[in-house]
Amino acid sequence: MLRFVVRRLILLLPILIGLSLLVFLWIRALPGGPAQALLGERATPQAIAQIEHEYGLDKPVYVQYLRYMQTLGRFDFGQSVTTRRDVTTELKQKFPATVELAFGAMLFSIVFGIPLGFFAAKRYGGAFDNISLVASLLGVSIPVFFLGIILKYVFAIRLGLLPTVGRIDVLIDLEHPTNFYLLDALIAGDIHAFFDVLKHLILPAVALGSIPLAIIARITRAAVLDVQNEDYVRTARAKGMSPGIVDRRHVLRNALLPIVTVIGLQVGFLLAGAVLTETVFAWPGIGTWLVDAIESRNYPVLQGGILFVALVFVLVNLIVDVSYAFLNPRIRLS
Amino acid sequence: MSIAELESREIQLEAPQGLWSDAWHRVRRNPGALIGFGLVTMFVLVALLAPWLAPYGPRQQNLSLIREGCCPGPSRDYLFGVDALGRDEFTRILFGARYSLLIGVVSVAVGLSAGLVLGAIAGYFSGLVDSVIMRLMDIMLAIPGLLLAIGIVAMLGPGIFQIMIAVGVVNIPVFARLLRGAVLAQRVNDFVLAARSIGVPRRTILMSHILPNAISPVIVQGTLALATAIIDVAGLGFLGLGPQDPATPEWGTMLTGTIRYLQTAPHLAIIPGVAIVVSVLGFNLIGDGLREALDPKLRGRA
Repeated sequence: MLRFVVRRLILLLPILIGLSLLVFLWIRALPGGPAQALLGERATPQAIAQIEHEYGLDKPVYVQYLRYMQTLGRFDFGQSVTTRRDVTTELKQKFPATVELAFGAMLFSIVFGIPLGFFAAKRYGGAFDNISLVASLLGVSIPVFFLGIILKYVFAIRLGLLPTVGRIDVLIDLEHPTNFYLLDALIAGDIHAFFDVLKHLILPAVALGSIPLAIIARITRAAVLDVQNEDYVRTARAKGMSPGIVDRRHVLRNALLPIVTVIGLQVGFLLAGAVLTETVFAWPGIGTWLVDAIESRNYPVLQGGILFVALVFVLVNLIVDVSYAFLNPRIRLS
Repeated sequence: MSIAELESREIQLEAPQGLWSDAWHRVRRNPGALIGFGLVTMFVLVALLAPWLAPYGPRQQNLSLIREGCCPGPSRDYLFGVDALGRDEFTRILFGARYSLLIGVVSVAVGLSAGLVLGAIAGYFSGLVDSVIMRLMDIMLAIPGLLLAIGIVAMLGPGIFQIMIAVGVVNIPVFARLLRGAVLAQRVNDFVLAARSIGVPRRTILMSHILPNAISPVIVQGTLALATAIIDVAGLGFLGLGPQDPATPEWGTMLTGTIRYLQTAPHLAIIPGVAIVVSVLGFNLIGDGLREALDPKLRGRA
């Protein structure tokens, strides 16, 4: 088990190095080059020359790359062109918002997806099964931003049940030590604020979580159908084990492997889908931050944001692999 | 039971007619796939015939239709209503099909051809070439697809051509991995060994023995990739990274401005969205149907 984890960590290294190289080359391919990217479009040639000298851009490429790696090692992504604040500082503010949203979406998709798929498999070929098949097919065919717009229209505009934009009511005064607003509200002991944040979270989380929900339900259904016909399940039933225990201990436990994998695969989707969902609900996370950065050609922000999200994505995939190994005794015990 | 008790009985045996006609027979019995074919045929016809089907021009404005700040909903003259600039929404949806289809097909073609070449080379030559190509693909997969596309658009600048490239590049590692796996599996087949032993050149083996046998998962993936490409393209358009001329009737771009009018003119958001869903659904249904028809493991199941 330990060896497996270490091996996965070592395999991670070339990917991280390659990633940094890719982003490094990408900055150099941007229109105007990195100096202009840093200074903005109206930079004078003198200022550009000065920055190029300051940042060592007049040195050979491999020296530049080493320097670049040094700054990355310090988590220094430079300064935002528009706000003149450190990209890292802004990242600390924006990232929790996206995590809160993605976490809510994930929770929604797992809590509803697994039971949905499980019952569809139990009633294989029945009405419930067919309805859930059609629903999950629709789920993978709807763009997340369109679903967001529909949810917003029905629940926020038509029914007026939930707020349309933002993370919290502007009138609520809340300190943000963690920038996870739900946590912040708990720390402050403000129940009113907590429920307000929760109400703001529901629609974006449901919109973002619906596609993973459809995929998780499909995989759960297929996995349960597969496992249900295994010999050990028949044996368990034959020796008179109660159906509930058979389902829990033998069917679900073994079906969990592909489900965990597919949940891990959804993380990339959640991070990317957050960009679109955040735009629909004006959610102040990484997504809106990056989209604004494209519009204002704010390359330091783009670089830091994309690199950071990729890093998170790679790490999450590692965690999924490890937990997969943990769930699978054939790897755990080897 | 003795042998004498066994009664001989005639059974229906269908002679196998080759992979494709078999697959076609199975697809025909799959109602989902047929609906998918119907939807996609409609989508393609609309895209081709848009100038003849559309009652107005896609950029033709009639500002006198705008009342109290925004736009009247569906009516007899304007089936899907009118947008904020007094343009017929029905016409724009019809013309939008052209953009979605063109961008989707081109971007998948870009990803597919580059991915095929890389995957086939990696799978057939193995060794160092394989490692280098596949690590590169791993790095590309380390960035979530839409973000990679956004990064590429940031580099190339927004526009129709640029989003085709961006979505295409995102697709490269998917196809490369798929084809490499398929080629690796085919490489050890007896007929490949036989061809090698009689001295058939490597390239001929790859092109005429391995690729044709490895192609069916690629076709399935290609159809499903078309569905995701349409979604991704609409997403990039929605973020304002698509065609820079706001009058272009691209579905994703059409959705962008409509959130503002959600209260007064919900049809402006709903109609392009439904158009996207219907076309994506069509490709997904075909893809699923083809997968069931071509996958030997699923053959013979009801």
